[in-house]
Amino acid sequence: MNKEIALMMQGITKYFGSVAANKNVDLTVYKGEILAILGENGCGKTTLMNMIAGIYYPDEGKIFVDGEEANIRSPKDAFVYRIGMIHQHFKLVDVFSASENIVLGVDDGKKYSIKDVNNRVLEISERYGFHIDPKKKIHEMSVSEKQTVEIIKVLYRGADILILDEPTAVLTPQETARLFDILRRMRDDGKSILIITHKLHEVLSLSDRVAILRKGEHVATVNTAETNESELTEMMVGKKVQLNIQRSMPQNPRVRLSVSDMNAVNEEGVKVLDSISFDAYSGEILGIAGIAGSGQRELLEAIAGLQHLESGKILYQNPKNGEEVNLRDKTPLQIRDLGVRLSFVPEDRLGMGLVGNMNITDNMMLRSYRRGHSMFVDRARPKKLAEDIIHSLAVVTPGLNTPVRRLSGGNVQKVLVGREISTSPTVLMAAYPVRGLDINSSYTIYNLLNKQKENGTAVIFVGEDLDVLLELCDRIMVICAGKITGVVEGRRTTKEELGVLMTRANAAPYENRPAYPLTDDVPQCVESVAEPPVKDFPDAMNRVLMRIKKRGEPQ
Amino acid sequence: MFKKLLSLCLAALMLVSLVACGTPEDDEATLSASPLPEVELNADFEVADDFKIGFILLHDELSTYDLNFMNAVDTVKEVLNLSDDQVIMKKNIPESNKCYEAAKELVDLGCDIVFANSFGHEDFMIKAAQEFTNVQFCHATGTKAHTAGLANFHNAFASIYEGRYLAGIAAGMKLNEMIEAGEFTAEEAKIGYVGAFTYAEVMSGYTSFYLGAKSVCPTVTMEVQFTGSWYDENEEKSAAQALINRDCKLISQHADSMGAPSACEDAGVPDVSYNGATIESCPNTFIVSSRIDWAPYYMYIIECVTKGEEIAVDWCGGLKEGSVVLTGINEKVAAEGTYDAIVDAVAKIKSGEIKVFDTDTFTVGNKKLETYLADVDTDAAFEKDTEAIHDGYFDESSERSAPYFDVQIDGITLLNSKF
Amino acid sequence: MSNEIKKTHEPLFHVAKRDSLSPLKGLLIRVIAIVVAILLCSILTFFLIGTKNPFSLISTLVDGSFGSELRIWRFAKDLAVMLCISLAVTPAFRMKFWNIGAEGQVLIGTLASISCAFYIGDAVPNGVLLVIMFFASVVAGAVWGLIPAVFKALWNTNETLFTLMMNYVATYLVAFALIKWTPDGSSTLGIVEHGHLPEIFHPYLLLIVIVGALTLGIYIYLYHSKQGYEISVVGESQKTACYIGINVKKVVIRTMVVSGAICGVMGFLYASALDHTITTATVGGLGFTAIMVSWLAKFNPFIMIATSALIVFLNQGSSQMSTAFNISSAFPNVIVGIILFFIIGCEFFINYRIKFRKSKGDAEK
Repeated sequence: MNKEIALMMQGITKYFGSVAANKNVDLTVYKGEILAILGENGCGKTTLMNMIAGIYYPDEGKIFVDGEEANIRSPKDAFVYRIGMIHQHFKLVDVFSASENIVLGVDDGKKYSIKDVNNRVLEISERYGFHIDPKKKIHEMSVSEKQTVEIIKVLYRGADILILDEPTAVLTPQETARLFDILRRMRDDGKSILIITHKLHEVLSLSDRVAILRKGEHVATVNTAETNESELTEMMVGKKVQLNIQRSMPQNPRVRLSVSDMNAVNEEGVKVLDSISFDAYSGEILGIAGIAGSGQRELLEAIAGLQHLESGKILYQNPKNGEEVNLRDKTPLQIRDLGVRLSFVPEDRLGMGLVGNMNITDNMMLRSYRRGHSMFVDRARPKKLAEDIIHSLAVVTPGLNTPVRRLSGGNVQKVLVGREISTSPTVLMAAYPVRGLDINSSYTIYNLLNKQKENGTAVIFVGEDLDVLLELCDRIMVICAGKITGVVEGRRTTKEELGVLMTRANAAPYENRPAYPLTDDVPQCVESVAEPPVKDFPDAMNRVLMRIKKRGEPQ
Repeated sequence: MFKKLLSLCLAALMLVSLVACGTPEDDEATLSASPLPEVELNADFEVADDFKIGFILLHDELSTYDLNFMNAVDTVKEVLNLSDDQVIMKKNIPESNKCYEAAKELVDLGCDIVFANSFGHEDFMIKAAQEFTNVQFCHATGTKAHTAGLANFHNAFASIYEGRYLAGIAAGMKLNEMIEAGEFTAEEAKIGYVGAFTYAEVMSGYTSFYLGAKSVCPTVTMEVQFTGSWYDENEEKSAAQALINRDCKLISQHADSMGAPSACEDAGVPDVSYNGATIESCPNTFIVSSRIDWAPYYMYIIECVTKGEEIAVDWCGGLKEGSVVLTGINEKVAAEGTYDAIVDAVAKIKSGEIKVFDTDTFTVGNKKLETYLADVDTDAAFEKDTEAIHDGYFDESSERSAPYFDVQIDGITLLNSKF
Repeated sequence: MSNEIKKTHEPLFHVAKRDSLSPLKGLLIRVIAIVVAILLCSILTFFLIGTKNPFSLISTLVDGSFGSELRIWRFAKDLAVMLCISLAVTPAFRMKFWNIGAEGQVLIGTLASISCAFYIGDAVPNGVLLVIMFFASVVAGAVWGLIPAVFKALWNTNETLFTLMMNYVATYLVAFALIKWTPDGSSTLGIVEHGHLPEIFHPYLLLIVIVGALTLGIYIYLYHSKQGYEISVVGESQKTACYIGINVKKVVIRTMVVSGAICGVMGFLYASALDHTITTATVGGLGFTAIMVSWLAKFNPFIMIATSALIVFLNQGSSQMSTAFNISSAFPNVIVGIILFFIIGCEFFINYRIKFRKSKGDAEK
């Protein structure tokens, strides 16, 4: 390659406590290229980038910018070296306008004039193809617009090296495509772009080169054109991983949970759930797709007894005695006392599902500590359960007494899911259960969910990775802005269709119970069903599913 | 070394502030000689080398009340040539079991006398006195010695009402001077007084002060504002300001902080202080101040123990013993002739010609006070038990050392008396 | 943007967070901190006060707490009092309810006991009176904890300000009672003759035993009872507590009642075993010191014995210094401040480590 070198790292090492986040990393970035940083979760991608951006300081090693050794001790230093980072979590002042946020902290010795800033922002926008109103306040913006502000903020400071930490995690496919166009334009303008991502297809479609990190070490940097998905995966995880997720046919599905006309508002009085109606069947995995913040959390929390509903019904069919109970506005305790075995793996694992500062045993106790009439807690049984989970799910932990916050994300999730399925639930809800997990841990979770499904549990799975949703779920319900925009069949839907449904914010509320029966001519998306709801998983559906199975898994 | 350095710095600071505050007025505030100076202490007895005395103090040197006790300790220490080991001071001892503990510890350390300086220490001192009968327990301001029936527990006070009477003369003469200068009429002469509690010690104090002023300025009246605390700078300052706003022409106080004097200096109202001269911070308003000097009592009890004599159950030091002293007079503020008038009054009090609470000088409900039962013996019901009026005067501090004059006389208005 | 690039050297040292530290190493760091603090203070004392030798500070400190049998007993008693109030604030603190109202809760407990002794002391036998006093104190302390907890649970008021204000209410109630009880205006109650706990072997022994039992009880409550477990969960994450169905409001109220009730026990002990009287300064700020004691002990009742001992040791030592060196009490306060600064400051070195620039040699691993 005869391109100029923009940035070079030599022997970068960084320890957190005794754990090496980065070990002896060498990396070269050229001018005018997009370099993807690929790696499993916890492989040290973000740490490495933070060292370039001045958030952390390396324990060992040197960084060269434009051939000169650079000492980057703060983000301010980083800007002196024309390096800027766009973090996963935006750092913007909500009540300020775009321009005000962009100019905040810039000390260029010039007289401050918001007009000049606005013009400069528009100039940058035009150059790279952003769409932005410099006067718009941050709190009025969509996630994608906020990201745009972050990027312009960095460009405004004259950055030539841009680092983006998982920029597509919060974007719809359409927005992602637009972002990629912009990034390409920047590359053509001579900028160096480092992009952190998990998503292989994005890597392949966008980058010029890919640097792969594994366990803090730099494995290789390859030209994107000369590689493919399986090679990258192999380098990432160190061995060939079966990409296909196992999926069995739903066995004897019956309606377990029947939600009708659920409405809820949040603290600001904004409607977060809008006429939600659906059924969840035993023995199936019902996926819920949607852009982050479309009401997924409120939906699950309403069922779990944590979200107050304005109206609606949540009917639970007890498989033991066939009784039907309404869970609406019951507390978690009341729900359990009704004999409803409902398990819930919340999105916020350490903040909600577990107590970070407690050890595994005490976390096991969360669900069961009330058992018995003694006023003292019994730690023997939770300890046994903890040992079982550590053993059967291969949880990596220094010991039973380690606070769970010290475990890696995957192990935390195994502990949480392990506890939730230990009560043999009849309904299992999991919100983003593989977010931030490496591939191996993710598959452990998929297997656990599938096992529950085979045991006849009604599994509700809220996911963000559309590929996973499509491969794991029997049915996928798509919500957008608190409304159901469609229920589709997992085996026969494409990502693009889901993407369309996810962004249909202004669609009319989806009617009634839009799942079954499905005829031989399975429509991709059932708009409405006039007939009374059918409680049994119909034979027609089974036939369809069988046929699909025979044809082989899609993709 | 450190102290020296500190005092040097302080002196420098004071000098600077003096220069900085130097007002155009030519005459500087200077103290005259005291009309009632400290008496010479003469040690005509030898103290044994193994003699020890322990002091229990409510606070430390930051409180003017405790500082007064501590200064007297230093004086006696010097006069009697006591070593550091012979004098033990326990500071910051609250009015709780801690006082008993401190007394016990002092006994443990070999003290022959244990002295405590706060009213609330009394019960705990009695408790210790009952336990250690071979040690003398002396308690300032207390009221229970004459009823406790213990041979080794003693109360002490001083006839500070006489000192306040003398200070009152200075106040009255200042008022007269201002009336003559036409600043206000004789009828408008009003004194403001900041008191701590509506308690005999305070009432005796302000009444004697008022009577002193009235002896030279017959038309004077007085208003009293209580703070409900012995030491609360803010409360005392705002009480003084309130009194000034109510047209009080002169302020005095019975409370331990600089609150009232500084309020006076700010407002330019003359002030008769207590417990020591405040001329440094109040050069334009300070007139004179009275205080109790505890050194004579310390001398007395040490002498008694050394000679194996009994200590009086109640000891009330007066002008003769040197227990009551006045500071010098601020000639810049005080009326002319104040010094001579006070010296004259001192002689008359000593000779018995002047009785402070002479019933001819005041009325209660526009009537002369013929008889009054005072609460001298402390009991749970606070019964009035002892006739206090003899030979035409209220006989303060003769039945017990602590004051028990708690009559509300005409001419004094209590603005708040609920404490 | 200027084009010049600052020539900066690698910093001499930088700070990195520790993953975890073995308890032994943590203890070592703390011991080193105390030793360094005492050395520094010894030198300061030697030069500023002019003591006979540099060791007089430490000998005076030790003398203050252990110089005689009397002082050892007093040390044990003060330790028990400090520990009792520290234990009282602990349940609320573990719940991250910042209760700074222990001062008032103890005081109101004392007031309740003294009121009983004052009004019905004559009428009932001592044993019955003690029982009545105990319950009155516990209830009074509990109510003083309950009020801010209810406001917190129902209207989300700020508990720190609220409990602080409750201290003032308690103080002024005591002032009011004293005025009422002492018509002579002295506001000094003196020793109340009724309701004294019996002395067993030594006046302080019973008190020490009671607090010892309380320590064990609180430990078991916090670490092995279901309620203690709920306190921990609520303290760590209210979201988790809701998620598993804990009624957070109920736990907040219940825990504050427990905290207040323990304060009430201490109030009872003040009235029945120690002071037998009350002033507005009966608690003397221990309610605030207890916060530091509890915090330094990481809210563990057994470690709290050590931290209480340390604070009491420093307090006794500082008043002994003032007496022994015949100096104002300001200097001993400076010394105590320096020692506490080191003790609290060393937490930084327990949580972080300092990495020095490599060029100095690779001695550091």
